[in-house]
Amino acid sequence: MFWQRKRKEADFKNEISAHLELEIERLCEQGMSRAEAEAKAHREFGNVLQAEERFHESSHWMLLEHLLRDITYALRVFARNPGFTLVAVVSLALGIGVNALIFSAVNAIVLRPLPVENPGQLVFLENGMFNAGQSFPNYRELRDHNQVFNGTLGYRVTQIELESNHGTATRTWGYLATGNYFDVLGVQPAMGRFFHQEDDLHEGGSPYAVLSYGSWQSRFAGDRDIVGKIIRINRQPYTVIGVAGRDFHGTEVFYWPEVWVPMMMQAQIEPGNSWLDEPATFNTWVIGRLKPGITVDQATANLNTIAAELARSNPKVNEGLTFHLARPGLVGDALGAPVRAFSFGVLLLAALVLLTACANLASMLAARAADRQREIAIRLSIGATRGRVIRQLLTETLVLSVLGGACGYGLATLLSRTLSAWRAPLDFPVQFDVTPDWRVFCFAATISAIAGILFGLAPARHAARTDSNAVLKGETSGFQGHRLALRDVLVVVQVALCFVLVSACLLSLRGLQKSLSMHLGFEPQGVTMAAFDLGLAGYSEERGRAFQQRALDALSRLPGVQSAAYSNSVPLSIDQSHTSIYPEEQSDLHASTAPLAIRYQVSPHYFETLGIRVLAGRDFTWHDDAQSPPVAVINQAFARQILRTENAVGKRFRGGPGGKLWEVVAVVETGKYMSPTEPDTPVLFIPELQQYNTTTTMLVRSSLSQREMTEKIRQTLAQLDPQLPLFGTGGLDQVLRFAFFPLHAAVIALSSFGVLAIVLALTGIHGLVAYGVARRVREIGIRVAIGAAPRQVVKLVLSKTFYLLGLGTVIGFALSLAAGRLLEAVVYGSVRDPLVLAGVCLTMLVLGLISSWAPTRRALRIEPTVALRYE
Amino acid sequence: MPTRDEKDRVALLQGTLDLLILRTLLFGAQHGQGIARAIQLQSDDELLVDHGSLYPALQRLENQGWISAAWGTSENNRKARFYQLTKTGRKHLAHETSQWGRLSAAIARVLNGQKAEG
Repeated sequence: MFWQRKRKEADFKNEISAHLELEIERLCEQGMSRAEAEAKAHREFGNVLQAEERFHESSHWMLLEHLLRDITYALRVFARNPGFTLVAVVSLALGIGVNALIFSAVNAIVLRPLPVENPGQLVFLENGMFNAGQSFPNYRELRDHNQVFNGTLGYRVTQIELESNHGTATRTWGYLATGNYFDVLGVQPAMGRFFHQEDDLHEGGSPYAVLSYGSWQSRFAGDRDIVGKIIRINRQPYTVIGVAGRDFHGTEVFYWPEVWVPMMMQAQIEPGNSWLDEPATFNTWVIGRLKPGITVDQATANLNTIAAELARSNPKVNEGLTFHLARPGLVGDALGAPVRAFSFGVLLLAALVLLTACANLASMLAARAADRQREIAIRLSIGATRGRVIRQLLTETLVLSVLGGACGYGLATLLSRTLSAWRAPLDFPVQFDVTPDWRVFCFAATISAIAGILFGLAPARHAARTDSNAVLKGETSGFQGHRLALRDVLVVVQVALCFVLVSACLLSLRGLQKSLSMHLGFEPQGVTMAAFDLGLAGYSEERGRAFQQRALDALSRLPGVQSAAYSNSVPLSIDQSHTSIYPEEQSDLHASTAPLAIRYQVSPHYFETLGIRVLAGRDFTWHDDAQSPPVAVINQAFARQILRTENAVGKRFRGGPGGKLWEVVAVVETGKYMSPTEPDTPVLFIPELQQYNTTTTMLVRSSLSQREMTEKIRQTLAQLDPQLPLFGTGGLDQVLRFAFFPLHAAVIALSSFGVLAIVLALTGIHGLVAYGVARRVREIGIRVAIGAAPRQVVKLVLSKTFYLLGLGTVIGFALSLAAGRLLEAVVYGSVRDPLVLAGVCLTMLVLGLISSWAPTRRALRIEPTVALRYE
Repeated sequence: MPTRDEKDRVALLQGTLDLLILRTLLFGAQHGQGIARAIQLQSDDELLVDHGSLYPALQRLENQGWISAAWGTSENNRKARFYQLTKTGRKHLAHETSQWGRLSAAIARVLNGQKAEG
């Protein structure tokens, strides 16, 4: 084997002495004396030690030995400069840690395939008209008639009321899934079995449930005998047939369902809204498994021939239907494309931070390399090759980057554990598994190595150019001009990058500030809410209406309550329904061309309770019920965009389920309904009394604190139905947390980046000025000796720094203008905002002052007598 | 036996020592000193084998797997390390020999041609 072939050095020595003996013997035979022969033999052989050295170096271990020696030497160098080492390792750890953390998030959301069999074959079916969803009749046609999929599964994200083994019911989230769901994905259960196609043939005939691993652990205490037990879902008995694997969280990377129920139970799971045979309800998400050898283009072509047939057979809903295939995991491209773009944008930003750290270290190392010129010159002159010296210097930087990388990776692992355990402030199981895997490790290792080489190259190039004669004679000129140019460029780059990051950070903060004063069209402060679903709880429409009425009466009578109402949903929550609007005279209701409006079903006093201003007309009353003609309240955007009038009261239009004819009784102000950045959106309010909805949100405006009011609402509702699970309880401002979540995330991320960039730029500029002062101690000493005033010394030290700072700022401004377009989509503002601009410039100025403070003080304290004896 | 003065001898071209060692070993196992002697004798004392570089070269060839080595006793009963050509070493030698033949012939042609012109 490799190491066994290695000869001992003693063996080699023996061979040489054997050679010498043989030679001496031969010479003696020729008539020389023993002493003469010995001398001649040694002379002929030459340098024994050198031969031994060359033998040593011919061994396989030489590279490793050099490496070990270089590493030991590097560690000694670092131990001598603990300050430098600390700064270097910390800034690298931050740079690499940030990158590893963000990469692990990108990895979890975008790169890592779903934990199923052959994930590369899965495609998500998008619909050209309604995006992610398909109608279930269309799904059936697709499943049965396509020639390109080995299996076509359909599923639906839905709310489910689940009763745990303690008997407490909770409204949770799960999947309705077609029978072939698990088989097409090719996943295995942790316990029991999954349902199959034959379990999902008849509507209402398959009361089976598959629990997620997490739900089994938390709601059923990991009961080993759970399989076969009857649990209650929506107050109906279901048999648990299996538990999913710990790593399987369904087919969306961000959504962790608690339970899977066969699709044929749709009517039971979503009571009052049966859509399995409804061609106009596009609620089913579809994933297909491509047959081997079929390309995405071929599959799309085949599916679109089916789409054409569907459009022919049912033009009313399917006209213009086209299919498009996307990657599964993020609800197709509708969500996937922007999420991917955003992720890579943030990754790019992280790369910028690392680049700053590298530039920083390169500049510090370049300064040190200049200081080490003597050392390198001595080593070159006593026989080290240039290659050997460069290898030594690169080893030093690689050791630094490996140390930094290890710390950074540790940091990222720690943070990503926290992030994985974190759940978004939503009534929705948004969770990501961002724990690092091998991909993250490889990524961190690779960027560490790249960083090490990147910032190690400058000093190594330096060393390669060292003229040992000149250096040892004390002439440090020759490349001085060149080196300074390189360092200047580095600082300018750094300042520019810092400018970009700080402006992005300030921009997001400005967006946050604007969001606080943004007019939302309602007053969330002082309103407390609690929601429940009467359908899931098994209430019929009649009993449900009675319950809503009793609940509202009870809440209105509570002390401290100013106003109370209920509705199906509230603005800016995740749950928004749209409805098509048609002109009064149109009787043929054709979906594709009609304008859409958001629809709320509300009780009387809704506008008063939410603080929505009524611009004209009257509120709903308790007499606007099923017996009286349908009435509606619209917002101003609806009046302007759809009815095209300022005086909409009294106008009529068709809309909503069944296309009823509604008469406008009031116009209210336009607010924000889907997101704070949306343009004015048409909205329609109709009386809940005329259009029942099982999802009910109770809204109470009161003078009590949120906590007190929440508790009172809880107690009041529990007296009416102790079993009824509540959700979304608390202040109405919780919807703001959801609506502003992207902004808050951006603020946190960008602020961290900004702070990071500032720290890096601080050390960078500090290093530059300190180095400049150290190099010019003699010069400054002479200037002071011949009468320079402190002001002149400061000017000498800082003029260049501030010139570079200004240059970097200008470049940074240009860069952030270019990058601003990308940011403006997330944060609500522009880089040209004068406040942001002024803030960034001020930050850069303060940065320059702080970072050059200490070295400037050092320059001012230089004593000519000491300085001139320096070195 | 007369030995020439060292100045007269031709120093070996880099890389040719390996070839000469392999060639010497073609006649059977030999120890280092014997190899050096043999090269010197066969070249009519024209070539100078630097003993100091001989042993590292032998080690290199051994690492390449072209020769193998074992301790044994010399004809006058001294302990010595004997080297022997391996199968791959023999192949390598054949290849290198033909390469060298082509190279030296080509160089000779160039040098002679120049002489004719001059």
